[in-house]
Amino acid sequence: MPRWGMVIDLDKCVGCQACTVACKAENNVPHGSPEEQKERRDFFWNKMIAATSGRYPSVKTELIPMPCMHCDKAPCVTVCPAEATYRRADGIIVQDFRRCIGCKYCIVACPYGARNFNGKEQEEKEYSRHDLPPDRKSWGPWPFPTRTHGVVEKCTFCFHRIDQGLKEGKKIGTEVVPACVEACPSGARIFGDLDDPKSNVSRTLASRDSFQLREELSTHPKVYYLPK
Amino acid sequence: MKSEDAVSQKKPGGLKFNRRTFIKLSALTGVAIGAGQILGPAITHSSDPVPPGAAAPLDEKWINTSCINCPARCAIKVRVAGGKAVKITGNPLSRVSEGKVCPRAYVGLQVLYDQGRVNFPLKRTNAQKGKGVDPKWQPVSWEEALDEIARRLQAIRQKEEPHKLLLFSGLNTRSSEDMIARFAEAYGTPNLVSGDALEAETLKAGNWMADGRYGDVAYDLDNTNYILAFGADILESSRPLARLLRKWGKMRREKPNRTRIVVINPRYSLTAAKSDLWAPINPGTDAALAMALAHVIIRENLYDSAFVSRWTAGFDAYKKLALDEYSPEEVAKITGVDADDIRKMAREFAGTRPAIAIGGREAVDWTNGSYTAYAIACLNALVGSIDVPGGVIYQEGVKFSPMPGIAEDGIAKKGKSQPALDLRKTAKYPLAEVVTNQIPESLLKGEPYPVEMAIGFNSNFNMLSPGMEKWDEALRKIPFYVHIAPFVSEMAFDADIILPATTYLEEWAYDFSPPGSGFAELKLKQPVVPLRGKNRPIPEVIFEIAKKTGGAVANAFAGLGDNAEGFVKYRTASLLSWKEFVETGVWIGNDYEYRKYERLFATPSKKFEFYSGNMKALFAAKKLAAAGDLSFLPHYGAPKFLGEASAFPLVLLPYQPLMVVENGSQNYPWAQEAFLPMCGVGWQVFAEMNTDTAKKLGLKNGGFVWVESASGKIRAKVKFSEGIHPEVVAMATGQGHWSYGKWQTGIGVNPNEITGLDYDSLSGQSAFFNTRVKVYKA
Repeated sequence: MPRWGMVIDLDKCVGCQACTVACKAENNVPHGSPEEQKERRDFFWNKMIAATSGRYPSVKTELIPMPCMHCDKAPCVTVCPAEATYRRADGIIVQDFRRCIGCKYCIVACPYGARNFNGKEQEEKEYSRHDLPPDRKSWGPWPFPTRTHGVVEKCTFCFHRIDQGLKEGKKIGTEVVPACVEACPSGARIFGDLDDPKSNVSRTLASRDSFQLREELSTHPKVYYLPK
Repeated sequence: MKSEDAVSQKKPGGLKFNRRTFIKLSALTGVAIGAGQILGPAITHSSDPVPPGAAAPLDEKWINTSCINCPARCAIKVRVAGGKAVKITGNPLSRVSEGKVCPRAYVGLQVLYDQGRVNFPLKRTNAQKGKGVDPKWQPVSWEEALDEIARRLQAIRQKEEPHKLLLFSGLNTRSSEDMIARFAEAYGTPNLVSGDALEAETLKAGNWMADGRYGDVAYDLDNTNYILAFGADILESSRPLARLLRKWGKMRREKPNRTRIVVINPRYSLTAAKSDLWAPINPGTDAALAMALAHVIIRENLYDSAFVSRWTAGFDAYKKLALDEYSPEEVAKITGVDADDIRKMAREFAGTRPAIAIGGREAVDWTNGSYTAYAIACLNALVGSIDVPGGVIYQEGVKFSPMPGIAEDGIAKKGKSQPALDLRKTAKYPLAEVVTNQIPESLLKGEPYPVEMAIGFNSNFNMLSPGMEKWDEALRKIPFYVHIAPFVSEMAFDADIILPATTYLEEWAYDFSPPGSGFAELKLKQPVVPLRGKNRPIPEVIFEIAKKTGGAVANAFAGLGDNAEGFVKYRTASLLSWKEFVETGVWIGNDYEYRKYERLFATPSKKFEFYSGNMKALFAAKKLAAAGDLSFLPHYGAPKFLGEASAFPLVLLPYQPLMVVENGSQNYPWAQEAFLPMCGVGWQVFAEMNTDTAKKLGLKNGGFVWVESASGKIRAKVKFSEGIHPEVVAMATGQGHWSYGKWQTGIGVNPNEITGLDYDSLSGQSAFFNTRVKVYKA
């Protein structure tokens, strides 16, 4: 069984946020509004954060794109009272919307701010994309344009693409990748099997210095970053 | 601490980054739970979150077409399911952007399905025009609208005054541009005005002085080892953006020598954040720095003497000027860049070849901008980076099937002999191809003559131009204004008739990117979804108007394909089969050929000129007063500022973030919520100020302030920053829309409301960065 992981090269990353927008388009993640952003109610499955240090003129801003880290020891899984969030055999942490009771424990537990509560009301116009056809069946092999409100949601490593790709006998990591990896114009993102020493991700990690976010918490994230 | 040290030895960079950066995150997510509390065994489920078979693949196809959410016009493919466009991504067959796109391409779905679009022609029934005045739009039929337009066009020609028709061209496809230009030719007006002089015409003028080619150059980023970016926002507003984003990744980690990138800019831009070194510079002094670099390179004999002696002219005069006037110590006083840093930068630039110096807006959109661009171009020649791998290269064009010549009538001849309203090529702007922002001044004065009618094609100049309120005033003076666009932009708000254009996802067109790749690449646009409402593509509107106008104008459009699709077919027949074009969406020219020195330079010496013979000839031809040899050499002239330093101590720097969709609207939530990546927020515009400066003024971070210039004031939240020159206030452009749309109206402010009117006098480029302001608590 593979263990899917992602490598994000901060030296190649151009901070353009193509990952953020492509993710929204792929997974039909609702957009926010000025009010929602002010109250931090808008949500992203992938978000770029900016962390600035130093004083003029030796300032430094790190731009860090963040999907869900899909931790091997995921705090969100441990705290979920409804077993709505769980770890698939291939290591992807997913959220079962039918089980989720919207208690938000996982949001508090996640040290990466990767989880979002979808509090949008069904009748809100922006809840579903007006650009999608009303007949859900025509939405193609990607299941996530369908939305459930009142639950917690997050990045899935585009498991729908992976599952579909495996079914069609395609190579995951080269022929099939998550939407953010496909979108990255600078080629800063690589996706593949961390347990396969010959995969792109493993070979890159072997050749370069890397780190994970908040390693000290021992959550063992499967998203690795390569410093500049 | 023990574990930290252990990791620290292994990965020092990683851990430091970890601890500092993610403290912030904990604040965001509440108190993070300690590792010991949260670890537990992984739970596995048998079910997937969505039952299998819930969404079976149905009628679905991918269509190759191209984007135009900015002038880069990248090749895209669109997934269409059930007759709806549901996903956009890059077309892998494109070599310009290597199948990649910037995030604006994804926003295309929201452009197409924008709820604020116009779906039928509208006519104004309220004669009074103005911001906040309801135009009382009334829907009319295409027939009625076009008849009225044609009647007026005929009347102007009957009076033999076709020059009194003014055409505005905003961001249009190349096929629409060709149609519009032909219409202007055949009708007989010299007044076709694009927005080019709101971009960086100074770069074109600088290149012209150096190599005789009035245009933008391209850069061979695949092979370069060093980039010195003067004010160039390579990762935000430079073009073609998607190519630059792709190549940045290549330059950093996909070649043996990692390209070193240095950014010179008063603002710590996103590009600066991603570069290796940021050198803040006093606003408007880049020419001095470029000349100081030349000083060091020449003095230390670091230049490419083989290239300089064989393929350049005027080196001695340039050398003397650089050595006499631009010592690092002198220039340090002007630019604020330390003399030792200048020396280091010069040695690096000359020693890490192939190296490229790139000029961009913050460096050249100044009153002295053409000479700054010239000084930057000369640096490339000094290190021999002209038409070599890793150097400056020259964009090749597409060889279309030519259109037949226009049999112009006497009326057209008469109209075109009139001076243009924007005063291009006059003593005021001797070199200019277009002076966009002269138009409101000319219209308001009625000089050289008043206009009768204007047509705007996707233009929105009253938002993009410095001193924008002049545009509003001027537009209201035009007796009859027709606007063609998919939505009611701010400029459309002053129209008498609005014609609803299609978006780029509903029309046939051909397109190509601005200079960047060297080799030629043509992209197709084809309808991916059926038309909404009664919208029509611009070429079809022009065919129709020309036919109705009749005479020589109608004749000029006969046999060109009769509609948008036919026109594209006609023009591309010489390149490839229609079937192939529709399938692939791109046509790619021959590989780039380097070192074409024998036929490269359009200068009197047929070489690259450090002393501009073209400029000397221009001054003689236009009888301009030259300031001695200095007028023909790259040099620094102190920039002119608008407003007294005593009353307005700071300089306003309006910058364009990546997420500005350049079609004249910003009503796109995906673009809005990720608008200011360096601030980590969207949906607004800050007055970004140096922390020390702001504190001295007694301001509170996040509090509202007035930013006031001699021409007005705007209100915004102040954001303290360590990445802004102490004398500068930076503000993002692209917001402040008011004409339509839930997702753009009332969001942010437009710094162009308070910038003043000024120009680079050679090229007619608007100066964007020389407005002085003061900031105080609101």
